Amino acid sequence: MIFWEIAKRNTRIHLLRSSLAMLGIVIGVVAIATMGILGNSMVLAVTDSLRTVGDSVIVTPHAGGGGMFRGGGGTSGGSATLKITDQEFQQIQRASAPNVAIPVLQTADRMKLGVGSDDIVASIYGISPEDVPDLLKLKEGAYSRANSGCLVGAKFADDNKVKVGSRISIGTDGDKGALRVSGIIEERGMAFDVSTDSAIVVTKDWFDNAYNRNDYDKVVVKVKNLDDLPTVTTAIEKQLNKRDKIVDVMDTRKTMETIFQTFGQITTFVSAIGGISMIVAGVSILNIMMMSVTERIKEIGIMRSIGAQRKEVMSMFIYEALILGIVGSVIGGLLSLLGGYAVSSMMLQTTKYLFVPSSLISIVYGVSFGIIVSLVCGMYPAWRAANLNPIDALRHE
Amino acid sequence: MVLLPEKEQEVTTVADDQPVMSFRDVVKVYPLPAGDVTALDRVTFRVDRGEFISIMGPSGSGKSTLLNLMGCLDTPTSGDIYISGTRTGDMSDSDLTNLRRDRIGFIFQYFNLFPLLNVIENVTFPMMLKSQKSVDPEKGREVLRAVSLEEPLFTHTPMELSGGQQQRVAIARALINDPDILLCDEPTGNLDSKTGAGIMNLMTELNRKGTTIIMVTHDQHIAEYSHRTIRIADGRIVE
Repeated sequence: MIFWEIAKRNTRIHLLRSSLAMLGIVIGVVAIATMGILGNSMVLAVTDSLRTVGDSVIVTPHAGGGGMFRGGGGTSGGSATLKITDQEFQQIQRASAPNVAIPVLQTADRMKLGVGSDDIVASIYGISPEDVPDLLKLKEGAYSRANSGCLVGAKFADDNKVKVGSRISIGTDGDKGALRVSGIIEERGMAFDVSTDSAIVVTKDWFDNAYNRNDYDKVVVKVKNLDDLPTVTTAIEKQLNKRDKIVDVMDTRKTMETIFQTFGQITTFVSAIGGISMIVAGVSILNIMMMSVTERIKEIGIMRSIGAQRKEVMSMFIYEALILGIVGSVIGGLLSLLGGYAVSSMMLQTTKYLFVPSSLISIVYGVSFGIIVSLVCGMYPAWRAANLNPIDALRHE
Repeated sequence: MVLLPEKEQEVTTVADDQPVMSFRDVVKVYPLPAGDVTALDRVTFRVDRGEFISIMGPSGSGKSTLLNLMGCLDTPTSGDIYISGTRTGDMSDSDLTNLRRDRIGFIFQYFNLFPLLNVIENVTFPMMLKSQKSVDPEKGREVLRAVSLEEPLFTHTPMELSGGQQQRVAIARALINDPDILLCDEPTGNLDSKTGAGIMNLMTELNRKGTTIIMVTHDQHIAEYSHRTIRIADGRIVE
């Protein structure tokens, strides 16, 4: 097709000018696609961390007044803290039935991992042995029903070179007793319910005895049918917060949705900033195309006089804009992979979310946007060229 | 016709007594802020098939306006123009463009070749407009040989050719779609006298083989190559 050929040759003959116009598109595509990849990678990273707790309702004592301060002598400091009483737990259990409500105790204490080793401080969770399998998965060893056994988090095990069978002395100089590690818990990442990666999990009875506790820090309700999450949340709210707000009830799925929505908004916002650079690139294309039309007014006049239709003249300039847009966008798309790799490595310390469809689609969006912007910005110059008066165009010097 | 045999077949579809072009009381007025300017005033003439006509007149006499109207690049304020029996006044821009492409060949003073295309591509450009697809370059070569352009130059770009060679390419381009009329605007105006004479001999030869030629010129010597001269002054035909 002769007009396509002319468009190609004109782009080539003005290589520097064309390259500069393409550079704008390249930058625009890289900005949009890289930001898209980063945003999506962040969402995926958070999803990976939180996906194990998307089926829970977390009940914690209300911190905003109205609730009761109950003495919680369990922590080493012994200060008054907010707790959930056994009676409140039973109410939660009733409200969430037939789903499993798991009471959780939590503190932090010193511990020694072997003779001669330094003390470390880590979180300790107290959970009934029968509830542990519902909440935690092991990567090694076995669940323990005995009070002398404990589970350790994967990161805790790695950091402290703890294996199944290792002994851990709890408390200052081991005054709370010694426990044998029966299993290592799978890595769970950030979690709303229990963050066990750098913690140890003991039986509830051992915890009660060691820290003199008869109440709970939180209750985790594992909901079997995810559609019941709002119902369970409402039921607990109704049961416990009739008059005063005693507890805070958090639907983890809803919270996750809010988090993802926020990430989505951030990604859109950052990509929109990238979009501004694309608009600037579009203006550059518009400018260059206008220049091209002005330079070729006489040529347009000749074409029209020897029988080229308006739409054919228009197509020639649209092809030119498309060449700039397609070449610039494709180069931008390829560079976006490098850009995505670089920002993922720097900000997330991993590139495993780069080659997934939801990340790669950002490149498709960026490339498509680049081509569309080029096309749209080429339309006006093309229209102007097509509507030149052939007589005036022929006279143009 | 020896040069373009296909043309002869097309010509036979037009009645012999029908003029290739005719103007009837054509008026062209340019509305300007300072007042209307009448560039052509009730111009009537006809051009028969096979004629070689020159149009002469001083600057501002209306020659360019006449050429633009003959080339369907402009429309008259009043009056009728017929090209091969077709009244152009009722035609859309698209139809006029097709008429220019199929029935009229343009030759310009400054050759007006496309610098991005080589000689063969320049010549076959109107063919491509007509067929809407790539064309056999052989016909382009054939027409280029007919205008006496050396074969090795066929793949050169216009910038690599002399003025005379460029004008031969422009003539070949004007002839490629076998037009009914060849409209020439000072075809030798940008050439030295020897090269100009060569071009005029070529045009005489084309006319002898059946091509209708209308040529605008200032040069009386060049006008002598034609069979008939239309003189125009103040927008009217005076002779």
